[in-house]
Amino acid sequence: MIDVLTEHWSEFSSGWWVTVQIIAGSFGIAMVVGTFVAAFRIAPNKWLQRLGGLYVEVFRNIPLLVLLFISFAGLRRAGVDIGPWVAGIASLGLYTAAYVAEALRSGVFSVGKGQIEASLSLGFSYAETLRRIVLPQAFRTVIAPLGSLTIAMIKNSAIVGVSLLALPDLLKQARVVSARTFQTDETFFWAAVGYIILTGAATLIFRALEKRFAIAR
Amino acid sequence: MSDQNLVELQGIHKAFGDNVVLAGVDLSVARGEVIVIAGPSGSGKSTMLRCVNGLETADRGEITFDGRPVKPGKGLSALRAEIGFVFQQFHLFPHMSVLDNIVLAPVKVKGIARDAARTRGQELLERVGIAEKAHQFPAELSGGQQQRVAIARALAMDPKLMLFDEPTSALDPEMIREVLDVMRDLAREGMTMLVVTHEMGFAREVCDRLVFIDGGLIVEEGPPAEFFANAQSERAREFVDKIIHH
Ligand SMILES: Nc1ncnc2c1ncn2[C@@H]1O[C@H](COP(=O)(O)OP(=O)(O)O)[C@@H](O)[C@H]1O
Ligand SMILES: [Mg+2]
Repeated sequence: MIDVLTEHWSEFSSGWWVTVQIIAGSFGIAMVVGTFVAAFRIAPNKWLQRLGGLYVEVFRNIPLLVLLFISFAGLRRAGVDIGPWVAGIASLGLYTAAYVAEALRSGVFSVGKGQIEASLSLGFSYAETLRRIVLPQAFRTVIAPLGSLTIAMIKNSAIVGVSLLALPDLLKQARVVSARTFQTDETFFWAAVGYIILTGAATLIFRALEKRFAIAR
Repeated sequence: MSDQNLVELQGIHKAFGDNVVLAGVDLSVARGEVIVIAGPSGSGKSTMLRCVNGLETADRGEITFDGRPVKPGKGLSALRAEIGFVFQQFHLFPHMSVLDNIVLAPVKVKGIARDAARTRGQELLERVGIAEKAHQFPAELSGGQQQRVAIARALAMDPKLMLFDEPTSALDPEMIREVLDVMRDLAREGMTMLVVTHEMGFAREVCDRLVFIDGGLIVEEGPPAEFFANAQSERAREFVDKIIHH
């Protein structure tokens, strides 16, 4: 069982590292873009609201696989070659951002109107109120859902590697090893372990964040 | 400039849909004056107070604060920074310590150095009698303590005017005193205050003028003693009876 892992350690470890990088990049994009989209959706301007709404609808309603094909093969055929790394990380990040935005929006609605009025009364503008009072509280109330989204994103990263053949992530490498050794069960068992390490780490991190930042009301 | 009234309300109308809440309110508030606003529930007291710092926008009429119009737009945040507002439900920021609640706006809105703001914040906490709570979170405090923090938070901006919307109505009876004491001290120090409250003992003792509002109109106003002794209108007399003899 373990010999598949030891004999093909370099494939497994490099694949795992590629997966980590995809996840890290996508997570950054998802959080930043998701925050902006959520801010748009609650802005006191109906065009910004619509723009935010459009973003969520578009990215939630297109399968990730289709996004990947469009951003890589599609764009390349149209003469824009952004490469598999950018295509993969951007697709997964922008796709997850739609869900992050929705989670944050629900968190924002859990922040009472009184909080906003208290902040405005102190002389903060609406934008500053959002940034200093509403969003920090929204983030704290949605730590758990953001954790679930992150775990889903980690698992979705496997779709990136499999669809963009030029990205040698953990699953892609596992397929290479499996084709070479015919030890299919053992190979994918170790791939699963690699993903569980990542999702487990995410679970622990988000649990710690929740403990640290939970708001007593 | 400074001999003019601090606040002027002229012909304020406000409706929510078909519900006419303010039907032409006029009120002048002199500097240093303490006014209690009383009236039955739903008579428009909160709405009137919220118009003064622009949390609500009047449909008609004009409000000036310190000579400047209170209206939506660019200058409104700057005006609000000079007007303290104390809510019935406190509305402290639950994700910040007590001291951070107080220091936030002076630092971020007025640009005061953090150290100076913290020193001042600690002084204010002492003044409202809860210096030892500086590093706790709002949820760890009693209602009365939270409301005193809310008052300290407003005072940290050095406001020219303090608005109170039923500051003791959400409190257990034994905590009402401690909040009213802070407000009385503030009044004695010369703060201009508009206070919506049912605490008629406070009104009698502290305020310069009592304004009775009913059906979106100021029905009666004058020194509190006069109001309690011989209110002119029927509604005001009913109100006095109910409040005093319950
Ligand atoms: N944001 C709002 N939307 C709709 N109706 C409101 C709103 N705020 C207040 N009202 C209504 O206005 C009336 C007066 O409210 P308010 O000013 O809070 O009275 P008071 O403070 O004297 O009890 C009430 O009938 C209330 O339901
Ligand atoms: Mg009210």
